[in-house]
Amino acid sequence: MLESKGPIETVKSGDRAVTIGNCAGAMTVAILALLSQASDGRRETPRPASSAAVAENTRPEPIPAKEVEPRPRPPQLAAPATPRPPTTASKPPAVAAGPPASGQNEPPRAEPVPQQRPPLEKSQAPLASTPPPSTETASPPETAAPQPAKPTAATLDLTTLEQRLRDTKAIGVFTKLSLKNQVDDLLAEFREFHQKRDQTMLARLRQAFDLLVLKVLSLLQDGDPTLARDVSSSREALWNILTDPNKFQNL
Amino acid sequence: MGRRIKVAVLVVSMATLVAGRSPAADDPAVLKDLTAVIALQGQPCGQVVTATKQGDNDYIAACKDGSRYRVFVNAEGRVVVQKQ
Repeated sequence: MLESKGPIETVKSGDRAVTIGNCAGAMTVAILALLSQASDGRRETPRPASSAAVAENTRPEPIPAKEVEPRPRPPQLAAPATPRPPTTASKPPAVAAGPPASGQNEPPRAEPVPQQRPPLEKSQAPLASTPPPSTETASPPETAAPQPAKPTAATLDLTTLEQRLRDTKAIGVFTKLSLKNQVDDLLAEFREFHQKRDQTMLARLRQAFDLLVLKVLSLLQDGDPTLARDVSSSREALWNILTDPNKFQNL
Repeated sequence: MGRRIKVAVLVVSMATLVAGRSPAADDPAVLKDLTAVIALQGQPCGQVVTATKQGDNDYIAACKDGSRYRVFVNAEGRVVVQKQ
């Protein structure tokens, strides 16, 4: 195979083509051998015998294509870059004379170009991709603009919250009464906290408060989502009222 | 007169017998309310499937897992859930 290709290249392309054939031809043969090995296992035995004799670059025949492919590419990337300017004028006859050789050489030339282009595209892509987040980040404030109106209207004090819980139809009578009992129990604990001024109680009170709010939210979220949202948004305000001695005394 | 009184007493007694154990809690709202109350009290139930009204604010609730609870409001105004 190689012996037959060698003379053909020398006859068609001349001295310059022979110098190219020594490097690029061996590389193309190695690539073809690797491709054939990857495509069909039967041809592995005949080709290594022929390619091993000529192409020394194909030493890693049993080595998988992953290790072999990166080796030939760097020389191709580096080699075409330097020889291209001088050979552009002299190579056209070689390309025209040996279509198979040029066809084999062109693909590797074409490969580095796309390899160089994608980074450009990738570099452009992040630039293009970064603006959308900025637009998305810019849009939320626009959408968030109407939201602040709801929390401002939703900050409930205890009396308003109590009245709205009384009026809602999302909770049954038994449940309302049970909630009222639990709220009264929690208020009694807060009263004790303010009397003793024991800060160690605060963590337990916060836990009880959060649990009670969660119970209310779970009861309201299906039947009265508006009230549930208002309760959720005014949670911290309620907690501040309960923990502030002055505000708590005014309840 | 005596016969009419007997009939009236019989009717009233029958009515009280029939109405006393009436399954008045087939209303889904009541079942949901009882389910929520039992859950609020931290008792395992899942979902109340049937409820029997014992009196004002007094129910026997049968849960999906087979457990039964008496849910009522005591004299102090507190909701009590008693496992039966």
